[in-house]
Amino acid sequence: MDILNPTKPLSSSLFNTHFRRPTLLLNSKILKLKPQTHTLYSNNNKRSRLSVTIVTCSKLKTSKEIKEKDKNASGKILLSNSAPPVLSEESGGGGGNGEKVPVKTGTGALGFLKRLPRKVLAVLSNLPLAIGEMFSIAVLMALGTLIDQGEAPEFYFQKFPEENPLLGFFTWKWVLTLGFDHMYSSPVFLGMLALLGVSLMACTYTTQIPLAKVARRWNYLHSADAIRKQEFSDNLPKASVQDLGVILMGAGYEVFLKGPSLYAFKGLAGRFSPIGVHLAMLLIMGGATLSATGSFRGSVTVPQGLNFVVGDVLGPSGFLSTPTEAFNTEVHVNRFYMDYYDGGDIKQFHTDLSLFDLNGKEVMRKTISVNDPLRYGGITMYQTDWSISALQVRKDDEGPFNLAMAPLKISGDNKLYGTFLPVGDVNSPNVKGISMLARDLQSIVLYDQEGKFVGVRRPNSKLPIDIDGMQIIIEDAIGSSGLELKTDPGVPVVYAGFGALMLTTCLSYLSHSQLIANVCVHFVSYSGKSKIWALQDGTAVIVGGKTNRAKAEFQYEINLLLDKVPEIVESSLSKQSDVASG
Amino acid sequence: MIFLTLEHILTHISFSVVSIVIIIHFLTLLVNEFVGLYDSSEKGMLTTFFCLTGLLITRWIYSGHLPISDLYESLIFLSWIFSIIHMVPYFKKHKNYLSTITAPSTFFTQGFATWGLLTDMHQSKILVPALQSQWLIMHVSMMVSGYAALLCGSLLSAALLVITFRKVIRIVGKNNNLLNDSFPVDEIQYMMEKKSIFKNTFFPSSRNYYRFQLIQQLDHWGFRILSIGFLFLTIGILSGAVWANEAWGSYWNWDPKETWAFITWTIFAIYFHTRTNKNLEGLNSAIVASIGFLIIWICYFGVNLLGIGLHSYGSFTLISN
Repeated sequence: MDILNPTKPLSSSLFNTHFRRPTLLLNSKILKLKPQTHTLYSNNNKRSRLSVTIVTCSKLKTSKEIKEKDKNASGKILLSNSAPPVLSEESGGGGGNGEKVPVKTGTGALGFLKRLPRKVLAVLSNLPLAIGEMFSIAVLMALGTLIDQGEAPEFYFQKFPEENPLLGFFTWKWVLTLGFDHMYSSPVFLGMLALLGVSLMACTYTTQIPLAKVARRWNYLHSADAIRKQEFSDNLPKASVQDLGVILMGAGYEVFLKGPSLYAFKGLAGRFSPIGVHLAMLLIMGGATLSATGSFRGSVTVPQGLNFVVGDVLGPSGFLSTPTEAFNTEVHVNRFYMDYYDGGDIKQFHTDLSLFDLNGKEVMRKTISVNDPLRYGGITMYQTDWSISALQVRKDDEGPFNLAMAPLKISGDNKLYGTFLPVGDVNSPNVKGISMLARDLQSIVLYDQEGKFVGVRRPNSKLPIDIDGMQIIIEDAIGSSGLELKTDPGVPVVYAGFGALMLTTCLSYLSHSQLIANVCVHFVSYSGKSKIWALQDGTAVIVGGKTNRAKAEFQYEINLLLDKVPEIVESSLSKQSDVASG
Repeated sequence: MIFLTLEHILTHISFSVVSIVIIIHFLTLLVNEFVGLYDSSEKGMLTTFFCLTGLLITRWIYSGHLPISDLYESLIFLSWIFSIIHMVPYFKKHKNYLSTITAPSTFFTQGFATWGLLTDMHQSKILVPALQSQWLIMHVSMMVSGYAALLCGSLLSAALLVITFRKVIRIVGKNNNLLNDSFPVDEIQYMMEKKSIFKNTFFPSSRNYYRFQLIQQLDHWGFRILSIGFLFLTIGILSGAVWANEAWGSYWNWDPKETWAFITWTIFAIYFHTRTNKNLEGLNSAIVASIGFLIIWICYFGVNLLGIGLHSYGSFTLISN
């Protein structure tokens, strides 16, 4: 080709014939060869590994020459075999062919080192490897849900005993050495995720981007024979390529016309969106890493009316966690209250928070609830929990006393709090008193000294209750608000990734479903591409096409489209032949 | 009270209609000539669809929130989505094999919802504080739609597997007789893929040609429905993550339900990747999708059955308190 080029630049059409055709042949070869390149690939890997072991075994300098020979041999085989996927990126680019030759001849130690990253890339972008990674991540995650997470070692000694191993081999030793007791932060799992991330990058770099480039390249076929050799071909007597072009455009093809030649393809959008999906995944992974290494978390239960400082609650989670100015903010819980359904169940709980800076100035005030957090200076405060901290009780117009409430353990998810008002001599060993129980801030159940039920009072009702001659008024029930605080620098990145992922998934679906109406063109990476060539040959048009998927449907579609091409009546024939010659 | 009666009536109408539709489907399977019956079964599915819509709307009105807050409601919603998936090709005047999957699916989910273990769950319940968010509609509807579409697609893939395996066994037998030479399964697949059907000389009989076409159709429809399901699942998981960042304090908590949804997502991502690879396409992708069927059920049902994690709302547990 390089020899031919300088001799033929006189007419542009001739130039095209000789320049474009080989690239196209190369492309088609690549597509056809794909099933075979795979097996070669795996051979490659073995070979490259072999050569590496040789290098490491023979560290003696005397064997250097043998080593180099070895490398040469392996390098040559590797290049010729692994070339197709990489070459597809370069060969059509025009000048790419010139570069290819020196690489082949100049295989030495240096060349080997130069090509090493490329080989690593080729291994990493290997699809079966990526599938294996995804599969093992899925299995690890499933294991993580089956094995109870974050328990003490004794728990695993009991659950996975050595005497009676699960499936014959699975004991606590496996769980603890592999870190499956904290699966989602175990080195095995994180390593697998990192590997998948690297594979994603390699695949995007070596396979997807070059294929998208190839898809954009125009290649016309200028001989009728070449077109007839396509998987699908047809001969339309009395037709014009222009008409065909219009019809193809209507069917969603990108159409390029030059003189009598037509080239049309579709499936380009379906090629760019997978790149977007992969980039979005990488963005999410990056954001998650940032979250894991650079965030602060903490939770606190604050009774109504008390304060806390943000910085005291938050604890760092990774080495990138750095405190900010906002950590000095003081938070005051103005009020904690709950909403109830008519049936008495809790509907929602709210906390009225005020934020003060170092000078004691109120910088923000907001009532938060579940699903409605407060955000200030990168800190987010969530309403997550509640409890009852104290009862304000008046006894015979004395007080009010603050009685601390303690959580009582009952089965089920319901909460129960209780307190005790001693009656009589407080210092006696078996002191008796009035018990008060509360499920929520709505109503308090009172029991007398014998433990008999007396009645129910609502706080704030000011309605006294008479127990053994004592007048008890429950003034108020003071709740405490369970807050969770966090700073997370990864969230914007992750959200950007979410947005991108959603968009690109939609795009790849839409781009492909729009085509699917006609041709089944596929979803991920190097798939779903149909090409059509046509050539005006006198009054006839020769049409050829190929696709890499759904051949039957492609033929069906093309037949439908070709039926639409209008037949040219005699009078306009002369005009057509003009076009053909011009 | 009127709402409850209405709901009762609608449940029973839709369930009996869908049972009749199933019977008609079986009849048309046995006897091909009943074109009129096929049409009436389509009308039956339309009736089911409207009944289920009515059921969901009634529940929405009297409970005051979107009726997908517990297992019973989500099962009804699931069968509603199945009936939608059934309707769409019908309106596009496409006769396809999807309907043989969607109609029984509607039947089974609805049957389970109305008859199964869940009788005490029929009363609609109040929403716990964490569920009171606009995200509920987006997240749950997307997830359930995703499950429905993915279930349909994976069932189609399973059907493909069954048909392919039957075919391959038969062909291998033939080859043994004629050529005294057996082909590995993959090789036959590969040859089938590689050769254009119209120039197909390897399997000249028309019977094999129709089979091949059936397999292609199953593959095509399975892929279409799976890709839309995957889209829904992606949106569902992402909206769930955003919601979790509003309600639970983090966008990802490794909660069992969350994890299984991610496993489902990964499995179907593997499906789409196997399909693009020419070496692995066809059979292998169908196998992956069939695995996906099990995974979806574990995710949708199994996790709630265990009653663990943050997602254990409105489900029944096997261990009673």
